[in-house]
Amino acid sequence: MKHSFIDKYSHLDSPVHRLDPRVKIITSLTAIVIITTEPLSGRLLHLLLYSAVTVAVTVLSRVPAAYLAGRMLIVSPFILMAALLYPVSVIATREVSFIPNFPALAETGVSVFLKASLAVLILILLTTTDKFHRLLLALRRLKVPAIVTTISALLYRYIFLIADEMLRTGRARESRTPGVLRTGRLKVYGNQVAVIFLRSWERSQLIYKSMLSRGFTGEFPDMQKMNLKGKDIVLSLLFIALLLAVKFFI
Amino acid sequence: MPAGIKIEDLSFSYTPGNRILKSVSLEINPGEKFGIIGPSGSGKSTLLLHLNGVLKGETGRVDIGNITVTAKNLPEVRKLVGLVFQNPDDQLFNPTVEEDVAFGPLNFGLPETEVRERVAEALAMMNLSGFEKLTSHHLSAGERKRVALATVLSMKPEVLAFDEPFSNLDPSMVMQLMEIMGSLESTQVIVSQSVLPVIALCKRMAILKDGEIVAVGETRKLAKDHSLMKASGLDLSLYRNICHTL
Repeated sequence: MKHSFIDKYSHLDSPVHRLDPRVKIITSLTAIVIITTEPLSGRLLHLLLYSAVTVAVTVLSRVPAAYLAGRMLIVSPFILMAALLYPVSVIATREVSFIPNFPALAETGVSVFLKASLAVLILILLTTTDKFHRLLLALRRLKVPAIVTTISALLYRYIFLIADEMLRTGRARESRTPGVLRTGRLKVYGNQVAVIFLRSWERSQLIYKSMLSRGFTGEFPDMQKMNLKGKDIVLSLLFIALLLAVKFFI
Repeated sequence: MPAGIKIEDLSFSYTPGNRILKSVSLEINPGEKFGIIGPSGSGKSTLLLHLNGVLKGETGRVDIGNITVTAKNLPEVRKLVGLVFQNPDDQLFNPTVEEDVAFGPLNFGLPETEVRERVAEALAMMNLSGFEKLTSHHLSAGERKRVALATVLSMKPEVLAFDEPFSNLDPSMVMQLMEIMGSLESTQVIVSQSVLPVIALCKRMAILKDGEIVAVGETRKLAKDHSLMKASGLDLSLYRNICHTL
């Protein structure tokens, strides 16, 4: 079965793609910290400028806008909910006599929306412009605990197989369900999930045995090379400097 | 000369009171291609997992060449015995083909230049040169099977143990795999329910039923013993009838 992969545009050639993945990770996280630590009121112009810089980098990356929008759409309900609920929560926690300043509250809602959207866009750019395994390797080189990178690697490798199993068991269920499910719907779905869980558990046992068979002792070995270039650092610093200039000098 | 295998009085259970292997004894000569056939649930895969110490018998012993498999010498044993699992998805857990093929040699502490040479060599043997940077889940079932074999060949084991190597393969892939297996000089243990390729590949085989060895001998001789095959749950009359019809 064919799946779409989060790194399907990692083969493109652009200045963003060519950056060392370690630099890309550090730059992305720094940018997220700079943007998300902005106060929620009186900083709308700053957030719009951050958006302009981030969109410029996105255009530079040559990743199709439709693809990015599609991925943004997945998280957009959560962002929207946070943006709408934040002003409501401000009103809800005040005294009954409190008279809300609606334009100011709307501004905080928009700020929450922009901050979260920019953070998500930066993370999507990070995972789209490099091969997933290179990002994992970069994390390993950045001294992220091996258990985290190993779990991520195995998850990325096997999540599609679990999706396939879900599809297969779903088809088996449908092929024996002419019309409407007559037995308890929840029970059937529950059994399906239980079967997938058991199969995943069995598979994990086999994978571990196969790892042991090839001398696994708890550490994933690697032999990939990464070349950090001066140009990577300059580009990264330029991006961060632009964001800091917006934060402190505008 | 590659190592031979000696299994003596091996018994094993996953849960108390439910013996999967019952006093199994076998001797496989160095460089021999040896088949182990038996119906589903007869304990074939379990037996295979004892060859490199992934499972440990309750009684008995397994010798690979001059080494008896014990908890202390597992790294040494695993260098000698390469296990190819039935489902390549259980064997390919790294993000790229190259990392999967390099996994064994790197774990054994080989220098990076040698690991790279071995990866290139193993992939070339499987006709997979150029697949290094691909991700396993992008490959076809046949390609994944070949990558799984490459992950073991890169370890240059003296003993190759195959668990159902012919399952889920189309006939041309079975032929291709048989040619590859036939060209390898290592000692080979082939566990399979597909009796015909085992007959074609191996001069000797054992029949395992309910965890017990019921017969060991020349492959063709055993396969011709209709009553034995039928009693072991491996009735070949369907194949015979098809061959007659064709």
